[in-house]
Amino acid sequence: MILNWKQSRAARKFFRSRLSVVALIVISCYLAVAAAIIMPEWYHAARGWLDGDDSSVEESGLITLEQTEGRVGTKNMPGFFLKQEPEKRLQHCERLLEIVDRALKKPNPQSALKDIEFGTLEVAPLPQAELRALVDQGWEIFDSLAATANLNEAPELLPKLNELEEVVDQLYPPPTGWNGFVRGLEMCLGTDRQGRSIFLRSIYSIKVAVQIGVVTALFAVVFGGILGMAAGFFGGWVDHLVTWLYTTFSSIPNLVLLVLLAYMFTGTDWDGTLIPVYVAFGLTFWIGPCRVLRGETLKIKEMEYVQAATALGCGRIYIMLRHIMPNTAHLLLINFSLLFIGAIKSEVILSFLGLGVKRGPSWGIMISQSGPEVINGFFWQIGAATVFMFGLVLAFNIVSDALQDAFDPRHQ
Amino acid sequence: MWSYIIRRLIYYIPVYLGVILLVMAILRVQDPVAIHLGKNATQERIDATREAFGLDRPFAEQYATFLKKLITFDFTEQSWDFPGVTVGSMIRRSIVPSLSITVPALVLTTLLSIGVGMISAYFRGQAVDKALVFVAVLGMCISVLVYIILGQYFGAYLIYKKTGHELFAIQGYEPGLQYWAHYCLLPVMISVIVAMGYDTRFYRAVMVEETGRDYIKTALAKGVTKRKVMFVHMLKNAMIPIVTQVMITLPFLITGSIVLEMYFGIPGMGRALIMAVNSKDFPVIQAFTAVFAALFIVSIILTDVMYALVDPRIRLS
Repeated sequence: MILNWKQSRAARKFFRSRLSVVALIVISCYLAVAAAIIMPEWYHAARGWLDGDDSSVEESGLITLEQTEGRVGTKNMPGFFLKQEPEKRLQHCERLLEIVDRALKKPNPQSALKDIEFGTLEVAPLPQAELRALVDQGWEIFDSLAATANLNEAPELLPKLNELEEVVDQLYPPPTGWNGFVRGLEMCLGTDRQGRSIFLRSIYSIKVAVQIGVVTALFAVVFGGILGMAAGFFGGWVDHLVTWLYTTFSSIPNLVLLVLLAYMFTGTDWDGTLIPVYVAFGLTFWIGPCRVLRGETLKIKEMEYVQAATALGCGRIYIMLRHIMPNTAHLLLINFSLLFIGAIKSEVILSFLGLGVKRGPSWGIMISQSGPEVINGFFWQIGAATVFMFGLVLAFNIVSDALQDAFDPRHQ
Repeated sequence: MWSYIIRRLIYYIPVYLGVILLVMAILRVQDPVAIHLGKNATQERIDATREAFGLDRPFAEQYATFLKKLITFDFTEQSWDFPGVTVGSMIRRSIVPSLSITVPALVLTTLLSIGVGMISAYFRGQAVDKALVFVAVLGMCISVLVYIILGQYFGAYLIYKKTGHELFAIQGYEPGLQYWAHYCLLPVMISVIVAMGYDTRFYRAVMVEETGRDYIKTALAKGVTKRKVMFVHMLKNAMIPIVTQVMITLPFLITGSIVLEMYFGIPGMGRALIMAVNSKDFPVIQAFTAVFAALFIVSIILTDVMYALVDPRIRLS
């Protein structure tokens, strides 16, 4: 029924502004990244389910949850491959030396060396005696450097530090080719307080945000839309019931209701998943679309074309689906994009309060974790999370504004 | 007018009953006693606590008891986490810190955003207007938490580090008017900045819509200057949506600053609720949400009444 939607007045108006087209492209980029992360996960989940064993194998995929939790460097390394303060560089070398040293001292050094996981870094495939010699050489330089109280104020020692870094590079040959590219990506926005890659975490958070946004906004729009349309169209006790229901839900302050619904799940099996977030947002956000749709349906019900359809003997369900729903669809679209923004922004607050996303990264988790880092003057984590979130929210803001303009007859 | 108020009051009675039902049901989805006491609690202890708080009775009976307690303002139930502290005293203690942030924030936000909105509407379509709207949209896209973290760093911590003088407190709260600026001014400013984006856009839209009206054309045709039309004729007529918008934000006076209170360690109502949720302090959660909802409904009724006072057409429908 909307075959030539591209020719419709609203669509022409929407696509006339270049800004909204750019915003749409940005949103599709985000969605593509989210899909690239989530598809392998679903594939593995489905295969595990079909094979009947729950021990899912997660080796492929763009970014896995394990990757975002693994260390790739020392804590709070800056991004854009900036050189750190000498003191921090020394710490980094110490950490890397220590790992090899400890592995060599184990009863079975060969397997211990293989088990070392430090992002994409691997220990060089040298004989153990050579590794031992390198480590000892490293410790020697390290000890002479660590003797100085503050390396940051001793520029004459910098060549020695470079020497130490060369030794460490021999221990861990810098990856080349594809691995080198991945290593570059991992490090390009620095590391957080636990040495995890900020870039990987921000990208993975796109998936979490899109998941939360799509699921909750879709649920709210469909559930609220159906209730609102039914209330407006049938009137009578249905209307009374729905009005009472949404007044009741909206009489509890929004944030309090979110907190209560998230609390409902503490201690259950679903606690670590996103389900508490879905339920909390879904049950809070449906009020808006419901109210809007009820009002619009009340208005449309009195229009001539609906009366004509009634006079022609069309059934009530038919009228609702064929005449009322298409004429309120644009409101659902606008509400969807507004709720998407609302969900992403509320996720930050809920995660900060300790009731939102609990397993894995999300922008909310990243921002609330970056509080102590900011005090120490480290802005990479809060910056990265804010920029990624800013792009998505701004794009949705522009699209929803353009939609409102395009469909609002007063703005002609 | 009185009949309208009474009609509204009666309308909200079933709503409040529903709210209480909803809150109590949500809190009982899982056994509150078992969550609070943890996995290692003995069965006798769980049973004893359950009995002491009447949680072993049927739901309808609990509902009736709780309603009765609410109606008679009987908040003498004790907190599980702090034995000996009643819920009522917790509410009384935390209400002033909450209001000392939200009331100034609301007043400042409204005044500032009406001003900026009017400037924006006055220069409609020009560079000033475009720049203001652009900034407002950009400001809306950043999370509240980012504003708070950066505000605390630049507004309190950095000043303290650079000058050695604590202009604003980094965290904490002390009662008393003389301490207000030290502890509350920074949170108030952050909350104003956060709310400004949305409010400015809203007030600008209101003003722009008013400019299209016939009375503006008449006034301009009569030869009234554009500035006078703007600040005298239009502002008066724009009062209706402005009053509504302010009244709609009134309920958030109580809860609006949960995140601010948590971050700055201000012992307000929102913080008390979150602390109770984190420690699974069931009587406190139940009483606080019931009181929140009651205050919320009272302010909704006030909004309706105010609205009817400003716009008599509402009363008759």
